[in-house]
Amino acid sequence: MAAAAAAVRQWSVPLLSCVVPVGFAVWAFPEGLPPIRAAGIVTGWLGCGLLLVSLLLMLREPRLAAWLGGLERMYRWHHGTGLAAYLVLLLHPLLLAANNLPAARVAWQTLSPFTESWPVWSGWLGLLLLMGGLVTTFIRSIRYGTWRWLHALLGLGVLTGLVHLILLGIDEPVLPILAVAAAILGWRLIRGDLGLAARPYVVTSARPLAARSVEVVLRPLGDPAMVTPGQFVLAEFGNGARYRGCGEFHPFTVSTIANRDELHLAIKALGDCTTRMLAIEPGVAARVIGGFGGFVDPHGKAPQFWVAGGIGVTPFVALLNAGPLLHPTRLLYLYRSEADAAFLPELRATAASDPKFTLHAVETGDDVPDLGPLLPTAGELSRAECYLCGPPGLVAALKSALAARGVTAQHVHYENFEFR
Amino acid sequence: MMRKLFYVSTAAFWIAVAGFWIGNLLVPGTDTSATAAEREIGSAELARHAVPQDCWMAIRGNVYDITAYLPDHPSRPSIIEPWCGKEASEAYDTKTKGRKHSPEADALLPKYRIGRFVGGG
Ligand SMILES: Cc1cc2nc3c(=O)[nH]c(=O)nc-3n(C[C@H](O)[C@H](O)[C@H](O)COP(=O)(O)OP(=O)(O)OC[C@H]3O[C@@H](n4cnc5c(N)ncnc54)[C@H](O)[C@@H]3O)c2cc1C
Repeated sequence: MAAAAAAVRQWSVPLLSCVVPVGFAVWAFPEGLPPIRAAGIVTGWLGCGLLLVSLLLMLREPRLAAWLGGLERMYRWHHGTGLAAYLVLLLHPLLLAANNLPAARVAWQTLSPFTESWPVWSGWLGLLLLMGGLVTTFIRSIRYGTWRWLHALLGLGVLTGLVHLILLGIDEPVLPILAVAAAILGWRLIRGDLGLAARPYVVTSARPLAARSVEVVLRPLGDPAMVTPGQFVLAEFGNGARYRGCGEFHPFTVSTIANRDELHLAIKALGDCTTRMLAIEPGVAARVIGGFGGFVDPHGKAPQFWVAGGIGVTPFVALLNAGPLLHPTRLLYLYRSEADAAFLPELRATAASDPKFTLHAVETGDDVPDLGPLLPTAGELSRAECYLCGPPGLVAALKSALAARGVTAQHVHYENFEFR
Repeated sequence: MMRKLFYVSTAAFWIAVAGFWIGNLLVPGTDTSATAAEREIGSAELARHAVPQDCWMAIRGNVYDITAYLPDHPSRPSIIEPWCGKEASEAYDTKTKGRKHSPEADALLPKYRIGRFVGGG
């Protein structure tokens, strides 16, 4: 049973990403056409299928995420299938034009956006929307709020692409596909972005945790979200007397689940929205979707090596708060300065009282630390499961440092909190 | 990695599009005028080619053998096939909701032209 569930988690996304696009291509495979034109049509259908899978993978539904191996994984495949769709869709018009190449004029006419016809215009519009949406996806400096709206262009691009098919007169298999795409986009908008899937909570307290960090406590007003220690939730905050919410759901790890259903979030001011949260006050309404993820397996059989960078310590604090450790566990905690280090007194107290837990707390200053002397030896790591959580740069540096010490990728677990 | 792939493929795409465009500029204009040895085709002969496997159509005074093109036509066969063997100018000019065919289609037509339509018998 557990094995079957694990297999579903592992294979569902890769399988979907192959079966849907290939299924479309096989179903709509044109017979008796010149190979280049057939390839042009097939790339169109592959792109269509990949886009649908990519859309499905951006739904933020806890149960769906559990089947598909977690939200973090879904996002990775969402990006991968989205880009793959874009690549084959670039080939689609080029191949259709290339098929007419013996006559350069006809080839250009096939492709030309200046042709006076909606089927061609809508195809171009769909492709340009995808291109525009992707360009903005890859520009890191855009503010998250603006970025989200620009990213939504991609959804519009998908719908326009399907309208392109209908204008070509291929409405028969396309209408159901259009309906599914529109349903997924609507589902995400209503349940995810507008928060219909969210549970109501209220902020009962907020205390400073470290420099530019607060711990916010949330009490459920109705049915609580289903969260286990180490998981993260998507939370949005309303307005208080002084505090202004920013109207967006952001991911935060739950550091403690107290009094059964009370959620503690440790929030570091890293951007516009989280900086405002330093001033959050009791009484502010909150909405919570989740829980998701949980990359640390507390029931694993091996000793564990944890590395936390900055506020990335939160999931480990959650596990320590959830109960006694089953295996020897060593935490390497990196922070810029003591003032920045959230939960340091609590961690020191646990290390003093629990013989299974070793804390190695390192103040690194503003420079990127030399990881070499900080990591355990290859011998010490040979049986350990490694869990990493922190800024992407740190996680990347750790992955290669661990690989150099002979730790295989299978034993390195990490969660990137990059939701773009 | 993904970002690089995106930029490289997007650039390659636009270069290819530019290539098609330049190719189009370099070839001399398509010859749309009638060829010298014109074959004259009447309604009766036209009507003998009225099945998808052998489909002629008369459009704006010219006859086209579009048998080879039929499978390429973007719309459903039921829309175009009934016009095989017939004078189809009006259908051609009033494609879906009264819109004309695109210049793309116009540019394709000469490839399939086989003669002049003389109507009558
Ligand atoms: C699973 C997970 C859960 C998270 N949960 C929360 C949460 O609950 N609340 C929240 O606010 N945020 C959360 N985050 C966000 C994330 O941890 C922070 O964005 C990140 O830690 C930056 O925080 P910081 O500003 O303290 O780090 P920084 O001050 O930038 O760095 C922290 C430490 O990492 C080192 N470091 C930084 N960059 C590198 C590098 N390139 N190479 C080597 N070392 C480096 C620094 O020297 C320093 O010691 C979570 C992230 C993950 C992965």
